[in-house]
Order: sequence, then structure tokens, then C-alpha cells
Amino acid sequence: MSHTLREHTADVAVEAIAPTLPALFEAVADGLTAASCEAVPEQGDRFEFTVTAESREALLFDYLDQLIYERDVRLVLPDDHRCTVSRSGDAAGGDSAAWTAEATARGVPLDAVAAREIKAVTYSEMTLERRGDEWYAYVVFDV
Amino acid sequence: MTTREFDGIRLEKVREHVWEIPREGDMNVPARVLASESLLEEIGEDDSLQQLKNATHLPGMAEPALCMPDGHQGYGFPVGGVGAIDARTGCISPGAVGYDINCGVRMVRTNLTYDDVRGRESELVDALFEAVPSGLGGGGVIGGDADAIEGALERGVEWAVEAGYGIESDLARCEDEGRRPDARPEYVSQKAMDRGRNQMGSLGSGNHFLEVQRVTDVFREGVAEEYGLREDGIVVLIHCGSRGLGHQTCNDYLRRIEKEHGDLLADLPDKELAAAPAGSELAEEYYGAMGACINFAWVNRQLITHQARETFGEVFDADPIDDLGMELLYDVAHNIAKKETHEVGVDADGRPAVGDEAVDRTERELYVHRKGATRAFPAGHDDVPEVYRDAGQPVIIPGSMGAGSYVLRGGDESMSVSFGSTAHGAGRLMSRTQAKQEFWGGDVQDDLEAGQQIYVKAQSGATIAEEAPGVYKDIDEVIRVSDDLGIGDKVARTFPVCNIKG
Repeated sequence: MSHTLREHTADVAVEAIAPTLPALFEAVADGLTAASCEAVPEQGDRFEFTVTAESREALLFDYLDQLIYERDVRLVLPDDHRCTVSRSGDAAGGDSAAWTAEATARGVPLDAVAAREIKAVTYSEMTLERRGDEWYAYVVFDV
Repeated sequence: MTTREFDGIRLEKVREHVWEIPREGDMNVPARVLASESLLEEIGEDDSLQQLKNATHLPGMAEPALCMPDGHQGYGFPVGGVGAIDARTGCISPGAVGYDINCGVRMVRTNLTYDDVRGRESELVDALFEAVPSGLGGGGVIGGDADAIEGALERGVEWAVEAGYGIESDLARCEDEGRRPDARPEYVSQKAMDRGRNQMGSLGSGNHFLEVQRVTDVFREGVAEEYGLREDGIVVLIHCGSRGLGHQTCNDYLRRIEKEHGDLLADLPDKELAAAPAGSELAEEYYGAMGACINFAWVNRQLITHQARETFGEVFDADPIDDLGMELLYDVAHNIAKKETHEVGVDADGRPAVGDEAVDRTERELYVHRKGATRAFPAGHDDVPEVYRDAGQPVIIPGSMGAGSYVLRGGDESMSVSFGSTAHGAGRLMSRTQAKQEFWGGDVQDDLEAGQQIYVKAQSGATIAEEAPGVYKDIDEVIRVSDDLGIGDKVARTFPVCNIKG
């Protein structure tokens, strides 16, 4: 799996490719960390969280939104991302369908790192799709 | 007719500095770019024009959607975008306001001259950097307990002044007197308040900063005098917004709109333009929550103002108000949507309409979305604070840390040309990724100090590189267009003395 920071006039975009959906989520999260900071020290405790949403794309949005929330509230830069993605409910993807991400990250104390603020994840130009044998995502973050 | 084309988007020159993208396909209205030929070339380089076209799909858009002279690509709606949407039959779009609700600028004037500060720049920049929290996780001026958060959301600057972080005149010299009357804190989520708790009085990072500046040029003596500006005088400019509380509020409502008004969303070309229909419960709740975030941002800038006053007092061993005259000149928002009344074209049913469909012109209450655009009301307008009603509303336009900033006044043409709006800055030209490839923070810092006597201090060298003067457009050209169009008239120019950022 891999991520690349892409050009954007005012903000920053992350492009990611991975063999599985959970790995793709982790790759985009790694991109978010890379957009915040060039070098992340190997310290900090892991924390966990769960998000649920009505679609795959919404789940990715909420997962990234939650990471930014955790950063501001725990005062840590999330790194070393791990995630599982599952789906439950209506198999046809109706109103009762739910996508869940169970995630952990290592929280590097903000006072131990020179990180800059990524304000928010956006839906602008967001792409999340299967391309051949791989999963692909493109996400713009507000800086 | 003069035309220009960028990536298949054709613009027709309507008159000097006014370019129109004609209505086609599902566009509800045309779009207009207010720019000189050189600025239009730069605006056409990224996706700004496509984003502007996309914005015209929002239902209820009255008159052309606009891009100000400093416009550039954003997310959903372009930065520099102004969209006026019927408040009765249209919609309100959190994405067209932006994440950093009430990101804005304020200017504090002083009695000091440049000679008073020369030789003490290092001392001043160090002291300000120490006193004003910046960067990620830098905390705030105060610990945001529940009462403080509630007071800020509900009452804005009024709360801050009562709590000892300002003076009475701060209220009279702030847009809306520092308090949105329709703020509804109960519609701000707990999650948003959690994020705001340890950020009350903080710059954050990115393009936000505090800058000590000197006035280098005065263009309109009488107005400058009304504003308390004189050549060589020292002013302080503060640029920041509602921090994580505002960012979270935007996303909270984007997601609710996605769930509750998916039908409207399905018709829009970009999901980031998600909008709540006017009159819906969600539209009212977002408008109230946004108002509370506006208040929070004003308090944020007010707390930083307090720190700046205290710091100047200590450095110059004087009372910041009585001796140094550190009074607020003005505080303006540039990411905001407000209900305002403007004259627009309407069809036979009284709905906003353009072209042949418009059979009359009448006053309508509109949600005026300004995303990276500044309100610029002319002299005499009822919404201009009384102290400036004769002179016109002050408009503060920050430039890069090597190029200076401007103070304008709302121009006489602003109501007819731009829904009472003008630019908000120089406008980015270069991506952050490219900026870091082309500039090194330490070099930029050294060059500014050695070449222009500008002292910069930041939490991160990468931020200095990303905000290097070379990544921005020519602010002089942006201001020239604003002045030529009569939407914002040049009053004074300022130049950086020292700058702190995240």
C-alpha cells in the first residue's frame, strides 16, 4: 500500500492505493500524518476508536474526521494506523446498511513533534473506488 | 467581444475587470470573475473556474456567482467566491462558507511610530511568540471551561470584554459589534466544543499569523484619519479563525445534509457544495451554529489582541491603552454566510432570475456566502458601525509576509457589483508541496530579515516555506482591481515589521 501527497493550490491532497479496503483507509491516514509532519518520532501510546457510517465513502470521511478530532482532543499526532472495515445490515445497501471501521493509532504527543494543522477532511473531489485488483482513494484536506 | 478560454471554460469580457462565464447546461446563473487580464491568467491555472461554475448549480443563486480578484482553487466553492442565494427559496451551503468559519482579520492601531520599534524587533517578536499560542497543540490564551465556551459561543466579544479581555470600544469597531444576534450555541455539537476547549486564543498554523506592521503609504488622507492611520505609524494585524470548533461544525453539518437532504445533493456537481434547503430545520440549525462559531472566532481574535496589548505594554513599559493607544481599528470576517438584503432580478413568480427570465428587480433577503471574500459596505450603509458610517466600512486585506497589506474602505460600487464584497488577501499561486520544494524556511527567514528588516518567528520552518512571499499573487494588482471597480477603495498600505506564525 502507498500514499502520495498531490499538488493543490491552497490545501493538500492525498492519493492512496492498497490491495484491500482496510489497507486503503490506513494508507490515506498515513497520508494525513505525512501532510502534517515530515518526521514522526517513535513514541506515544496507542488509542482506539470506532466509527460507523452509511456508505464506504462516508466511512472513510468519518474515519479521517475522527482522527483529526482525536488529535485535537488528545493533543497527539496519530500515526502508525491500523484499521479493519466491516459491513453489516441490509445486503442491498439500503437505509439499514452500516459500514464500521475499528481503528487504532499511535498518538505522538504534539509537544514532541513539529506538526502543522490540517483543519479538516473534505468531500471535494473525493474518490474511493476499486481499480482492477486494487483500491484507490483521492482525498483533499483543508489546510 | 474579447474572450478567454481555460480548459474548455470560455469567459466573455463584460467590461474592464469583469469576465463572465455564460450560463449553460445546468447552471442556474452565469458566473463572473472580477480580475485584470494578468490575474485572470493566474486564476485560470487551477480548478477555480470549474469550482465557480459548479457553485452556480446551487438552487436559488441570485445574479451571477462571483470570484474576487484574489480567487484560487479551494474545495467545493473557490476561495474568493461570493454566492448570494435566496433565503426563502434557495439554500445555505456550509461548504460555500468554508471549514474555518469566520476566519478573518483585525487590525489594532497604536501611537507608536516605526522609529519607536526599530532596534527592538527581535525583542518584540520573541515576546509576542511567547505570549500568543500558535501551531498545533500550542494551547490557548485561556483554558476553555464550559462557561467560557458557552459565553464565547453565545455572546462573542461582549463576553470577552466582560471577562477582562478587552475594552468597550472593541465592540463598536467589530463587524456586528462582535456578537451575532442569531447565534444558537445549542446547535454546536459536543464534539466541536471538545475541539475548541484547548484552543481559545490561538493562531493555529497554515496562513494564520500575527504581524506588527508600519504604515508606508496613505492614499486617502481623510479616511485614513477617520481610521486613525498615519504614515510610519505601527499597527498590529491578527489573522485566524474559529479553529477546530468551526472546522468540526462544518463537517457535522455536511454529514447531516448528506443524510437528510441527499436529493438536493444528488443534483450538485461536487459533494462539498452540500446545501440545506432554505426554510428547512437543518438550514436554521446550521445558520444558528455558524453564528455561534462566528462569535467564537471573534473571541479567539479578541484573546490574542489582549495578549498583544499586554506584550506591547511590557516591551515598551507603558499602558497599552492609555499610553500606546492600542485600540481596535476593525475586525472583518472572510468565511461567513449572512442574511442580507440586496436588489436582484426576479421572474414573474418573484424568484431570483437572470437574463430574459428576470422581469423586474426587487429587494430580496439572501444568504450571502463569502468564502475568502470580505464584506465591503460603502459609507452610509446601515450595517456599517456608527463610528465608520460616514467614512465607509474598513476592509483589511493581508498580504504575504514580504509584500505588505492594505486597508481599504467599502466602495460605492460594491453593492451593485459584488453584493458588498471585495478580496480577502493576495491569493495563493503556488501549492504548499511546490513551495516546500522551492523554498527552505530558514533561507526565507534570513532573507526577510537581512533584505527587508522583517523579523519572522514560527513553530515550523515548513510553515515559513509554505507561506514564503513567492507563493502569493501580486497583492498590488489585486488591490488595483478592487479600487478600479469601486468595490474597495485604497486607504493605506502597510508593510511587515515582525511576524509570528504556527
